[in-house]
Amino acid sequence: MTNRDDWLIDMDAGPIFVQIAETVRRFLARGDLAAGEKLPSARELAQRLSVNPNTVIHAYSELESQGVIETKRGLGTFIREDAPVETMQRDLLKSAAMHYAKEAERLGVSATEAIAVLQEVLDAGKT
Amino acid sequence: MLARLDDVTKLYGRNEGLRDFTIAFPKGEVVGVLGLNGSGKSTMLKLLAGLLFPTSGRVTVFDGPPRTNRARIGYLGENDALYAWMMPKDAERFMAGLYDDFDSIRYRELLDVLEVPRRKTKAMSKGERGRLRLAMAMARDVKLYLLDEPLAGIDLLSREKILTSLVREWHTDETIFLSTHEVAEAESLFDRVLFLRQGRLALDANAEALRAEGKSVVATFREVLS
Repeated sequence: MTNRDDWLIDMDAGPIFVQIAETVRRFLARGDLAAGEKLPSARELAQRLSVNPNTVIHAYSELESQGVIETKRGLGTFIREDAPVETMQRDLLKSAAMHYAKEAERLGVSATEAIAVLQEVLDAGKT
Repeated sequence: MLARLDDVTKLYGRNEGLRDFTIAFPKGEVVGVLGLNGSGKSTMLKLLAGLLFPTSGRVTVFDGPPRTNRARIGYLGENDALYAWMMPKDAERFMAGLYDDFDSIRYRELLDVLEVPRRKTKAMSKGERGRLRLAMAMARDVKLYLLDEPLAGIDLLSREKILTSLVREWHTDETIFLSTHEVAEAESLFDRVLFLRQGRLALDANAEALRAEGKSVVATFREVLS
């Protein structure tokens, strides 16, 4: 599964357990992790990220309560088959859109103009 | 509670080491002991280790004075004092002779993880000796480890190896006190951080709670201690 650099834990970006949970959701939304796939054990991930194992356990229990992962006794931690991947994709896209909207606002660009530029970029990417 | 200091003051002659310290520690935490030079970090760890007695107040570890529980406390001092002729295997015999709880299998694993060369300590670099000393300390099977500046004065790769092996070795029912100046490198390991200033406790905080307020431990360190 994905290498360490993709986790991008940043001490100035809020609690580490939140960042770990967000990273798992991002991996899922982007298809870097799939339903049914096994996650590293809390201890393995803690070592890989050089963080306190308690922090990873905290992140996993958060993801479990959100219905993203499940722990199978004696087997490990897995992405649930019914993990809400589409919701996560939508949430990620929405937060990217909010950044875009904010920037447009700062630049004093109208909504119509901003949408036109976005359309232009999308079209250009379709080659 | 695993350990506590009740109204502890430690004076060295007229100089204060620690002043009016009251704090308790449950088991199963990694505690970062942070502060500038002379802030009382080593004094605090030595009091918990039973190597110093408080001038006033009381130190309790495992429901008794540390002195009576020394066999149950792992302590790594800041002095880089190892016999020059010692090889890692001699150090193993030395530690096994001193401590019943010394786990030779764990020690050899640690030597591998920490990549300690099999040669005499006098032929080792400071970083290699630091790694060997950590292996010696962490190979004991105890519930309380007091590590005084295990990262001081050694190279980046050795520091990384030490931090990774601490994550690897730590079990949730064990408590580790780690004093260090390498706040940025070590902060992701800490459950709890203590900021000491001139022998007093300036702040006692949960590391994740600090980050939830948007401040890293490093940023808090600057704010509290500058």
